[in-house]
Amino acid sequence: MQRAAKCALRLDISRAFCPSNVRNCRAVNRVNGSVSCRRYSVLPPPRDEEEKAMLDSMLRVDHAGEYGANRIYAGQMAVLGRTQTGPLIQHMWDQEKMHLERFNEILGEHRVRPTLLLPLWNIAGFALGACTALLGKEGAMACTVAVEESISEHYNSQIRTLMEADPERYTELLQLIKEFRDDEIEHHDTGLEHDAESVPGYLLLKTAIQAGCKAAIYISQRI
Amino acid sequence: MLCMYRNASPLWLDMAALIRGLRAGRALRGLGGVAVQGTLSPQCSNVRRGFHRAALLRLASDSKSDTSVPPPSYREVHTAGESSSSSAQGESSEDAQPNTSFQDQSGEHGEDYETEEQLQARILTAALEFVSQHGWTVEAIAAGAETLGLSSASTGMFNNGAGDLVLHFVAQCNAQLAETLAEQNNQVQLGQAESKKTGEFLKDAVETRLRMLVPYIDTWPQAMSILLLPHNIPDSLKHLSTMVDDIWYYAGDRSTDVNWYTRRAALTGIYNTTELVMVQDSSPDFEETWAFLDNRIKDVVNMANTAKQVQATGEAVVQGLMGAAITLKNLTGMNQRR
Repeated sequence: MQRAAKCALRLDISRAFCPSNVRNCRAVNRVNGSVSCRRYSVLPPPRDEEEKAMLDSMLRVDHAGEYGANRIYAGQMAVLGRTQTGPLIQHMWDQEKMHLERFNEILGEHRVRPTLLLPLWNIAGFALGACTALLGKEGAMACTVAVEESISEHYNSQIRTLMEADPERYTELLQLIKEFRDDEIEHHDTGLEHDAESVPGYLLLKTAIQAGCKAAIYISQRI
Repeated sequence: MLCMYRNASPLWLDMAALIRGLRAGRALRGLGGVAVQGTLSPQCSNVRRGFHRAALLRLASDSKSDTSVPPPSYREVHTAGESSSSSAQGESSEDAQPNTSFQDQSGEHGEDYETEEQLQARILTAALEFVSQHGWTVEAIAAGAETLGLSSASTGMFNNGAGDLVLHFVAQCNAQLAETLAEQNNQVQLGQAESKKTGEFLKDAVETRLRMLVPYIDTWPQAMSILLLPHNIPDSLKHLSTMVDDIWYYAGDRSTDVNWYTRRAALTGIYNTTELVMVQDSSPDFEETWAFLDNRIKDVVNMANTAKQVQATGEAVVQGLMGAAITLKNLTGMNQRR
């Protein structure tokens, strides 16, 4: 099942994901004309509807998470962009942009539906970033710490799920998620180094932000 | 020919003869004569009915399978649904002479065991031919079942009745469309065909899909109303959304933002309105429908372009305002560092 060879021809792998997963489709067996070659693809061809649904929802929420993180950093940059912490936030933002781009590619390739609430996360993320940045550099760092902690916890639970299911089947996906999780943990540690904990009401802020993140993750998995 | 044997022979010869007869019927059918099968059945319906009872073959199987039927004494009764409906059916899957049918007595459960779903699909496909006669109704399904040699009581398998028939047809059309689009995509990727612009691609895809309705266009309003029944709505929406997703995917849409939703919503609107225009269109070859489709697609493409332009203009305006504000600050001296 795992064909690791890179195909020279840019064949349409999407055929492996052809939407014959309509529930009542008793009709025609999809004739998959071309070779379903795994050109460097992160996901294995789904073997049934359930697996596709699970992978879809995982990718959907990951994409929403990276999108939200992007907007948070954008908000922070809008306020603190010209201060001393500007370059630091910019660096973290650039890494998040890379993550988002990667997820965009995966979603497009595997025909995963993005979450409907993206415009909401857009506004909410930017507002969160901007508001916490208004509390100063420490506020922005505290927000970063809270969000990155939520995200890395979320990635960890995804890694656990995939490992429990079938680690060999999902090797590439696991690798990707591990890489991103390591980046997020790095951001978390950077935030702590830069006096995140010295913001007044740090615990309150952190709890509130993490509760918001959990809710966002829950909703994005479904909608 | 079959009926000559009927009165003269004991039961097992009867069955062997039936096998032969049905094989002959099957071979003839293979030549494309559904009508032939039709004419055979009334003559031999009595035999067949008697056969139904002895049935026990789950063989049912496929026209593809050439595995021989084990002799009657070795068959076992299987689930009621399979057995009664697939009895005469199973017989007709033979090609070999009667002698060889007793030779292979191995597995009765080969991989060519036809699932109930596959059988239902075959019945519904056969039923489509009777839609012009009976409409999208259970009678059409019954007629379809009869052409396959099953009793018309097999419509009991379909809990949703006519809804099953319509949904099957829709699924079949969508699958066909997806195949066509995939094939075209393949051609483009191999460099054997030119890639079309989005508007043209959408128009061609929707037209291809709607043309599949042409043979059934007279009864299509009935089908549409069946699809709108509350218990059918989830399924019909799912079929519709899958189809629209397919079309946009092959049109090259890889968006991962809210555009994903707006594009699909737009195309759904276009498809539904064009379908409505089509059912009441009386122009030759539905010219008016295609013209309508063309105009709607143009509208959507225009709107998309306008939206892009508005966004670009908006950004430019904002830049201009920012520049003006900074200039003012500089002029009034407010921007000086102290």
